[in-house]
Amino acid sequence: MNTLTDLAIPITMGIMLGGLYALVALGLSIVFGVMRLINVAHGDLVLLGSYLAFSIMTYLGLDPILSLVIGIPGLFFIGFFMQKYLLNRAFTISMEAPLIIAFGISIVLQNLFQIVWTPLSRGLTTSYTLKSFVMGDLHLPLVYLLDFFVGIIVMISLHQFLHKTYLGKAIVAASQDRGAAQLMGINTKQVYAFAFAIAMVFAAIAGVFLGLTFPFTPQSGVSFLIIAFGVVVLGGLGSVTGTFIGGLVMGLAQTLGGYFLGTSAQMLIAYLIVIILLATRPQGLFGR
Amino acid sequence: MPKKELIRVSNIDVFYGGLQALWDVSLTVRTGEIVGIIGTNGAGKSTLLKGISGIIHPQKGTIEFDGHDITNREPFEIVEMGVCQVPEAGRLFPAMTVLENLDIGSYNRNARSKRNQNLKEVFEHFPILEARKNQLAKTFSGGERQMLAIGRGLMSNPKVMLFDEISLGLSPIVTKELYRVLREIRARGITAIIVEQNVRRSLKEADRAYIIEAGRIVLSGETKDLREEEKIRKAYFGA
Repeated sequence: MNTLTDLAIPITMGIMLGGLYALVALGLSIVFGVMRLINVAHGDLVLLGSYLAFSIMTYLGLDPILSLVIGIPGLFFIGFFMQKYLLNRAFTISMEAPLIIAFGISIVLQNLFQIVWTPLSRGLTTSYTLKSFVMGDLHLPLVYLLDFFVGIIVMISLHQFLHKTYLGKAIVAASQDRGAAQLMGINTKQVYAFAFAIAMVFAAIAGVFLGLTFPFTPQSGVSFLIIAFGVVVLGGLGSVTGTFIGGLVMGLAQTLGGYFLGTSAQMLIAYLIVIILLATRPQGLFGR
Repeated sequence: MPKKELIRVSNIDVFYGGLQALWDVSLTVRTGEIVGIIGTNGAGKSTLLKGISGIIHPQKGTIEFDGHDITNREPFEIVEMGVCQVPEAGRLFPAMTVLENLDIGSYNRNARSKRNQNLKEVFEHFPILEARKNQLAKTFSGGERQMLAIGRGLMSNPKVMLFDEISLGLSPIVTKELYRVLREIRARGITAIIVEQNVRRSLKEADRAYIIEAGRIVLSGETKDLREEEKIRKAYFGA
């Protein structure tokens, strides 16, 4: 084998992982784009999706992907009511209040994970976890292929939703000018609740596919959040296309970093890119 | 002739940013009328419109629309009832297309079913919007933005439109064009309140006008009488 085919594996895996990372970041990006809130609990909410799938799989014997029929509506309602009864009120107090609430939610969830699921490392192990697929000369894990396609399907659906439906357009409008949106008859508080709920749907999906790809512990939310931050810093907050490209860059940086520097330093290049970009283009690669 | 009272503002006090902006303001608008609100910068014209739209709620007094008390209603409920504001400088959604901006206008539940009919009429008023419907709003010039803002307002299927400084910063030709459309809109039976910094224009286009000074209504009446009024001539025409 020559170096070129050697490199083909981390590059292909990086791109596929990128689809998943974009998915992890999407909820964070929406909540910031619409509410201007940096949701520091996002990683833990994604992890809640992983743990829910774990329990449904363990106790009901349902495949993690199928468990989303429970996980998606579950997180949708958690998100809707969290925004409606907690965050919408906090927004009327000050700009910092919702951020503090988000920190609170993060701590509550981390402790909840410890109590309910213990500090043990868990994983969503299924019959297809260890399966691989063949692409040319390459043997690649099947879950990575799933990660990539789910990432793409979700991005396309979100794009269609934001441009084709009244609710989607209202979310975009409220993110561009809240006052004007109100004057056009949009109930912005309700739209915020829906935006948060939709972000949570993406968190549920991301949680399941992360759980299929990597093992997780009650502290994993922090690393999910860091990945999501990296993606949105690269892609610009609130842009669907940017988020996807940001995901690809983070995925590639991780797999190529692992290839050249070893697994323990695999995130080093990813965060060097983030730091350099923040210093030179704080609005992100595609930011306005 | 105009008869029925559509909007009745009674003795409102409004605070804006901790300061009182309106004192004991009252005003009525009858069906089919164009009512002008005239005053200098900071006199409280925009605050009055914000109060009617429900963006700011008055501390005292009431606002009624079509017989319903709307004093403490939310902005989206007021739009749903048929009161739509075309805000100062248009306030378009810059990164959305012309068509998407217009669709947002038809967001309220009473406008959605009439979306296609209203869109057709908006394109009749402003053919340029149809020609450029897939362009982003931020690429528009000042006058085009106002046209889109008015079109977006019309999409909400309004009974009353509140225009905040529609001609501010625009050339006389564009202003003339906008007022031509305003007359067309009126001919369709839509009532309007116009806030204008251009006093001559206001007194020419409106049937009645209110002069507001430092948050208080100081004068009101038929514009044909106001044109002759000594006080106005002194304050605004310097003669």
